[in-house]
Amino acid sequence: MSRRGSMRQGARGYLLTFPAFAFLAVFFVGPLIVNLFESFKDGEGGITFAQYARALGDAYYLEVLADTIGLSLVVTIASLVLGYPLALAIARSTGALKSFLIFLVVTPLLINVVVRTFGWMVIFGRSGFLNSILKFLELDTITLTGTWTGIAIAMVQVLLPFMVLSIASTLEGIDGELEDAATTLGATPLKTIIHVIFPLSLQGVITGTVLVFALSIGSFVTVMLMGTNSTMVLPLLVYQQLNLASDWPFAAALGNILIFVVLIATALQLGLSGRAARR
Amino acid sequence: MVCYLAVISVFLLLPQLIVVVVAFSEASFVSFPPPGYSTKWMVRVLSDPSFMKPLWNSVVLGLSASIMAAALALPASIAIVRHSFRGARAIQNFLLSPLSMPALILAIAMLFFLSDIGLGNTYAGLLFGHVVIVLPYLVRTIVAVYSGADPRIEEAAYTLGARPLSTFWFVTLPMLRPAIFAGGMFAFLVSFDEVAIALLLSNASSITLPVSILTYLTYNYDPAVAAISVIKMIIVVLALLVLERFYGLQNLTMQSR
Repeated sequence: MSRRGSMRQGARGYLLTFPAFAFLAVFFVGPLIVNLFESFKDGEGGITFAQYARALGDAYYLEVLADTIGLSLVVTIASLVLGYPLALAIARSTGALKSFLIFLVVTPLLINVVVRTFGWMVIFGRSGFLNSILKFLELDTITLTGTWTGIAIAMVQVLLPFMVLSIASTLEGIDGELEDAATTLGATPLKTIIHVIFPLSLQGVITGTVLVFALSIGSFVTVMLMGTNSTMVLPLLVYQQLNLASDWPFAAALGNILIFVVLIATALQLGLSGRAARR
Repeated sequence: MVCYLAVISVFLLLPQLIVVVVAFSEASFVSFPPPGYSTKWMVRVLSDPSFMKPLWNSVVLGLSASIMAAALALPASIAIVRHSFRGARAIQNFLLSPLSMPALILAIAMLFFLSDIGLGNTYAGLLFGHVVIVLPYLVRTIVAVYSGADPRIEEAAYTLGARPLSTFWFVTLPMLRPAIFAGGMFAFLVSFDEVAIALLLSNASSITLPVSILTYLTYNYDPAVAAISVIKMIIVVLALLVLERFYGLQNLTMQSR
């Protein structure tokens, strides 16, 4: 191909990607930049760090941030522990069982988070499903709505599919013969999983973990519907600042802090993925 | 293992199943198990414009956002896969980046931005917001399928004298149609379920279904929510059936005809 031909090839490439690129540049990057500027406004046209000082200096806001990160960590770890065996089951099964398991994992994703949370409210409410069972067994009733536990359980159900799908896709790529080799060498099934399969699936585990963490950090619907004023997370706080207090600069600052946490998690993912790939 | 699978199946499916049951409850309040069964809530919700209008809005918004995103994603994806140019990888990652942004924060940022440029509280703003979050799904699907397709088919067309535009229309496009549809379906479902952006950017006339359910839930707690949720679930299942019937999910890995 002549040099002129390949240059035209390159130019056409840029031309074809331009609409999508420009659209995102304007409507995705634009808002993020505006958000950044908004957080530095001081009401008189000047620049100030006051909003960030306010956010990070007040014990209440720090507590909310800590609660948000803590909740997300709990949800992420629970998803990993509960999801790994399921991913393993999907990767190893065939036929009807496999289809059923995939259906099991994908169906919750198709249901809106508001609807799923409503379902949990019915289960955990005072006259809900859980308490009906407990009453039947003549045990004390518990009300999990409005508690961190109830919120965490609901969030795990919402986010578990993401973890399972990430891990399962990596597990599918692992050569079955490696398992056979380990067994031939005398390893028990459990040892095979711990020493052979898990390290090989690390990439998927990392992807799933960071994905679930990022999603739970940013989620607010479940907490909004199931929580009370004592269970506050950062996204919900940001929404409140916007709606009730109309405090745009402060909301913008809080939002940027949240984005920052997500960026750290994503950077961690890239770093860990790189190391896992090199093993 | 069987025990574990049984427990986790219940865990994953239970909330949805309960919602379906409650939708047909006879009671005026939410309780499980319901005291009796009736279709009255389904009927009430189907004849209630305060639920039906948002439902219509959501369907229209989902279709519009998907089509617009497809129009943007298709040329970009083709370029990324077939046209070698520097920065193709970087641009691809950029086009996928909205996936990593917490939805609510993006929604708030868009609110500020749209107000600044005068599109605040308009339908265009809501639509563009959804196109942003939906675009990555289309790019990802089309790029995945196109990368796996055989380039020799298009090369054969060129050799036979077809101009680039003809090749695109008669060879590339049919090859990519399953990917566009699958990606568009993902896009539609994502938009259909989306809460954060719709919550902040929609107004009384453009309100979407998830937002109306959310608002209803903050003031009411009755089986109407379950009923409208069941209707929503039915639409989603229908959309998936359409995809399966017309294109089949196995077509996504089609190499060549």
